[in-house]
Amino acid sequence: MQNPAFDADVAAIDELMVLMAAKVEEAVLKASHALKTQDVDLYKTVKNADGEIDKLQLQIEDHVIELIATKQPVASDLRKLLSVFKLAADFERAGDYAVHLAKATKLFVHEPQWHQLERIATMADLGAQMIHGTAQAYKQRSSALARQTALLDDEIDHAHKALVQDTLAFLMQYPEQAERATRIITLSGHLERLGDHMTNACEAIVFMVEGIHADLNE
Amino acid sequence: MSIANISIMDFFYPPDHIALSAKDLEVTYADGVKAVKGLSISFPKKATTAIIGPSGCGKSTALRAFNRMNELIPGTVTRGEVRFHSKNIYDPAVDPVTVRTKIGMVFQKPNPFPKSIYDNIAWAARIHGLKGSCDELVESSLKKAALWDEVKDKLKKSALSLSGGQQQRLCIARTLALTPEVILMDEPTSALDPLSTASIEELTTELKKDYTIIIVTHNLQQAGRISDMTAFMLLGDLIEYAPTKKLFVNPEDERTERYITGRFG
Repeated sequence: MQNPAFDADVAAIDELMVLMAAKVEEAVLKASHALKTQDVDLYKTVKNADGEIDKLQLQIEDHVIELIATKQPVASDLRKLLSVFKLAADFERAGDYAVHLAKATKLFVHEPQWHQLERIATMADLGAQMIHGTAQAYKQRSSALARQTALLDDEIDHAHKALVQDTLAFLMQYPEQAERATRIITLSGHLERLGDHMTNACEAIVFMVEGIHADLNE
Repeated sequence: MSIANISIMDFFYPPDHIALSAKDLEVTYADGVKAVKGLSISFPKKATTAIIGPSGCGKSTALRAFNRMNELIPGTVTRGEVRFHSKNIYDPAVDPVTVRTKIGMVFQKPNPFPKSIYDNIAWAARIHGLKGSCDELVESSLKKAALWDEVKDKLKKSALSLSGGQQQRLCIARTLALTPEVILMDEPTSALDPLSTASIEELTTELKKDYTIIIVTHNLQQAGRISDMTAFMLLGDLIEYAPTKKLFVNPEDERTERYITGRFG
């Protein structure tokens, strides 16, 4: 059974959402690559992509508002639109974190002893995996995949805690490196938040599919 | 507790909170069509329940069965029970006219008598035995129907001079004059413009403080706006009955989901 007009509108939103998620995933991977390879030029690319990501979020929001105003959706249609609204906001934040990561590259150029950057990059790759999984779960309307994707957040959390501890120990030994060390801690915190945003997005997908509020952050 | 997790059990009403209930109610028309097939449902007191469903699902037939109106359609056979104050209203000892004063009905199209506004209310009351002046009754009924301020200076004018929305509120006032406990409404706003519809909806919200309202509506948004409980019927069967908030956010039955999202038939 179909509601062709509404379903066509939702398909258009799906397309934008998948495109937005792909851009965010790419931005995070590029930022991670920039940190690993000290590629300062990548920052501009990531920054430009963020502008497109922000525009996509507004486009998606406008679609949702128009549909709510004109079609008065209920039940799974309503849950879908509300989840889309939340997802777009979570992806947008993830895009911002990618910009912060790429921007930090400049601070570490010609400082090869900062092996912590490898760990930041690994966390960023996990974040990109979460973004990918979230987008797939949304596209496939799969709450199982959303639940599975949210599990990755634990890995990011553990990596964050360990990195903060190690960096603090390092800071006590080399207080003159405070600026870079605190930046490492900040970046690690950003990635921890990125994981939380994707977990929220996964919860929104579970609500969209099953109509229940699941806590995937346990 | 989240809206989506509310179960029907959270809305279990003890027997003294039930205004009207049907048990195994069946209505068959003269041509043999069974319009209502074994309906069992309880309506909470001083609340609004909406009955929704596609045309021909039996919702209006069920509504008419709640005050024995189907008997006015020749050849209609009703089986099962409708309990009101712990009595079956289909018991041979029960007078259908009394039933219809206690369980009143408002119809799809406003149907005032071609008389004055005043007489529309006074006439029904007189037929039911009211002696003497009806001034007080007319005023209080019109006030309850939120029409008094608009008509108090023209009570002797024809009811037919009123707008559609006003006529419908007059019909509600006429029903209220007989001091009912339950008000059945059969698509009461389908012939009205949005503003008149809003005034009737506002009125039902006000009336449910003192009355039990059961409304059949094709307008799903209306069911969402004004009802506490919603029943979904399909082909004579009750498919789902739940708190309105639950039914419109996360219905249990796939058929309900398809109907309210416009994907049915």
